[in-house]
Amino acid sequence: MGAPLFLEPRLEPPLRELLDDPGHLHDLVEALGSPLHLVLPEVVAANVAAFRAVYRRHRLGGRICFAHKANGSSALVRRLAATEAGLDAASVNELSHALGSGFAPERVVATGPKNPAFLWLAARAGATVHVDAPAELADLVRLVRAEGLPRARVLLRLSAFASDGGVHLLARRSRFGTPVGEVGELLDVVEREADAVELLGVAYHLDTTDLNEKALALESCVRVLDEARRRGLAPRVVDIGGGFGTSYLADGEQWERYTTELTQAVLGRRPPLTWRGHGYGLRNEGGTARGRLSLYPAHRPVAGPGYLDALLSTPAPTLGRTLADLLLEHLHDLWIEPGRALVDQAGLSLARVVDVRATEDGAHLVRLAMTAADVSLEEHGVLTDPLLVPRAGHGNGNGHGNGPAVGVYLVGDLCLEADLVTRRLVFLPRLPDRGDLVAFANTAGYCMDFRAHRAQLRPGARRVAVGRRDDGTRWWSLDEQYWPTTR
Amino acid sequence: MRYDDITEAIGNTPLVRIDPAVHGLRTVDLYAKLEMLNPFGSVKDRAAWNMLRPGLDAAVAERAEVVELSSGNTAKALAALAGLHGLTFRSVTNRMRVPELRELLLLLGARIEELPGRSECLDPTDTDDPLTQFHRALAEDDSAHLHTDQYFNPRNTEAHATGTGPEIVKDLGCRAPDWFVACVGTAGSSSGVARVLREHDPNVGVLGLVAAKSDFIPGIRTIDEVNEVGLFDPATYDAIEAVTADEAIDGMVELNRRCGLLAGPTSGAAYRGAVRHLRALDGTRPERTTAVFIACDRVESYLGYVRRRRPELLGRAPHRNSPATVTEAELAAVHAVDVEAARRWIEEERPLVIDLRGSHAYAALHIEGSLNLVDELFEQQVHGGLPFSRRQPVLLVCPVGEKSARFAALLTRMGHPDVRSLAGGVVAWRDAGAPLVRE
Repeated sequence: MGAPLFLEPRLEPPLRELLDDPGHLHDLVEALGSPLHLVLPEVVAANVAAFRAVYRRHRLGGRICFAHKANGSSALVRRLAATEAGLDAASVNELSHALGSGFAPERVVATGPKNPAFLWLAARAGATVHVDAPAELADLVRLVRAEGLPRARVLLRLSAFASDGGVHLLARRSRFGTPVGEVGELLDVVEREADAVELLGVAYHLDTTDLNEKALALESCVRVLDEARRRGLAPRVVDIGGGFGTSYLADGEQWERYTTELTQAVLGRRPPLTWRGHGYGLRNEGGTARGRLSLYPAHRPVAGPGYLDALLSTPAPTLGRTLADLLLEHLHDLWIEPGRALVDQAGLSLARVVDVRATEDGAHLVRLAMTAADVSLEEHGVLTDPLLVPRAGHGNGNGHGNGPAVGVYLVGDLCLEADLVTRRLVFLPRLPDRGDLVAFANTAGYCMDFRAHRAQLRPGARRVAVGRRDDGTRWWSLDEQYWPTTR
Repeated sequence: MRYDDITEAIGNTPLVRIDPAVHGLRTVDLYAKLEMLNPFGSVKDRAAWNMLRPGLDAAVAERAEVVELSSGNTAKALAALAGLHGLTFRSVTNRMRVPELRELLLLLGARIEELPGRSECLDPTDTDDPLTQFHRALAEDDSAHLHTDQYFNPRNTEAHATGTGPEIVKDLGCRAPDWFVACVGTAGSSSGVARVLREHDPNVGVLGLVAAKSDFIPGIRTIDEVNEVGLFDPATYDAIEAVTADEAIDGMVELNRRCGLLAGPTSGAAYRGAVRHLRALDGTRPERTTAVFIACDRVESYLGYVRRRRPELLGRAPHRNSPATVTEAELAAVHAVDVEAARRWIEEERPLVIDLRGSHAYAALHIEGSLNLVDELFEQQVHGGLPFSRRQPVLLVCPVGEKSARFAALLTRMGHPDVRSLAGGVVAWRDAGAPLVRE
């Protein structure tokens, strides 16, 4: 099996303090069942402030919108409604949820693929609409006219940014947005239908961690706004979407060691680290590693607000100024839509151990009262170690390592071979007992409900909001019962 | 020496002994194989020419484009060689991280394509490594091309097995060194040289150096990235060790300042890695140890790399007339005027309005009658003195009134009697509804 390889999660004080109180966690699961998701509304409010601080450092104004799709929690959305944040809704239900949680429509942007109901509610309420394509703009204009709605405020979502000059940046093909080369057609419509739509600005979202690709896109957006101004329009927003990232791991060296050993395992130079030699996207072709490691870069020296800071400090590819200066000097506002980064450290997922059995190769299968989809860390390629939360009187799960660490596979309780909560061997300080809890840290971003399903008529996981009062005592509330008045 | 064309000047590079007083190893004779003296500037010249040669006639006949996945020296050599034979060259890169090399390639007429970065959300349809993506893209490409395929082409290794390796043996008096040290990029030079040296003496030790995982050293792969290289075989190396970018730069500076070798960071990494490894062996054998490392390319292209990582090595004292030297007290004394006062002042006294923003932003919208002097240029101008008459009142304008205040303080210190700063900048001007024009 080889020496244990750890990927310890990064735990900031709010999450760490929760984990230091196993009695509280056991009480919650006892009452509400396994699996159980915990969200921490106060953490999200602090994350908004951290992003705002970056804006302030660069003297920029503009909206910070939470990408709701990262987590369906009512508590998080209602807490955010009580901050200055905006919200990015990607479905009619997300939009209704935001409006019903206290977001005034002008704080909401409607993004992504839209069906007629979504477009109607966005236009009726007066949310800002991210226009994906000319056809959608035409639909919106028709709707506003037919229903006699107020002028719809729009951001044009652009894509396929091309670099000029000798260096051609190849970008991954995207399903979304209008190629920037065809923006003239959209501007024609906006100009012609000025009584139906008001152009607030342009937007992009690139699925890349690369700063240069984003710098190119942002500069292209500034040029498009320039063209819009030349046509007599008065846009002032560049919406750069999300993708600021989260650092899940405490220790970069563990991440580097792990990924190196994984490559070695795929090449057969060490014992496998994974169930049936799963390669996480890598494969062995005649001693050479091929394929791409399909893992989220879980340790990131620069993530979240720090990534935004780095992006804004990146020089524009042709105009030379930093992107922050470019926006500021053109008098533009910066809008962002962080999802994962805004709920960083704001969630914890718990599941109860129901069975432990040994396999032939010395590892153990630990079955949890959950399915892999309830905490979709693996589906999102996020590898972090789960934490053992022992029952009362069983000591501290993490420090309690009298013997050597034990390698286990965590499996779900679907009647399906592939229902693996971890496809890799994870090391726990001791073999868990039935009744212990396993905790997954930092799951609020995409890892709670994004992939959850109801196969086998299983009820979904419950969700609760937790926090501390001023006197340090804990409160908790069912997610749907939480309001910012909850103490 | 007279040649018919420059390709004849590839190879036969000198082997130069490093002064023991510099490396400090008592029983080791350490030599640098100066591959940086190849005509296009690096060890890659040999491989590039050897890989290109067999397909050259056919490529010229069908006017094929030479293509390679390279962000550095191989691209440089191929660009020069392609041009020499009337062919075009396209470099596809995972990321061109050395701006000087990028510009040099453009100067040589190369086309550069950069592959996309890693995706932020995990996309199961995005499964291939850059090398595989590139191979597939080439297979789909109908236009004529000659792909030199440096990571898999055995002629890469062969160039060193027939050139670099035998030259080392000959220059050491028909002996193989006890240790050979090379950084691993395509693994071509290390595998090719190692093969020849071991044929000569099976006991030769081969040290392969890779970059520390989170570091970037030009031309060297990390311990994981080497596994994607077809030519890489771990059995070639007696030891594989990691070098950090800091070690690479330290080694480079020592070669530059103490040895008269104007070699770059990759050479610095090889030198540092060699000394570190050999120090442990120093004095453990009765006889002297001979070791050779590859000085792969020259330092000039890496000034930006050094500036980013170790600015103190290029440090200069700040200029006296610089906005960075403005004190808090000087800033507090600046005459800042709000939008209303500024408009009145412009109306009544017609001060020179200087807009310090970038030229593109200025062109998009500005205060009518203002003059655009981009802050970077303006800063250079004031280094030498006041760039306008003291009798000319000046209103400085920037986005939010911070840079303009700083420059106003500086100009005041330099003796200008009436320079003011627009409080809140163009943003405040816009927000107050004051007119901005586009001309």
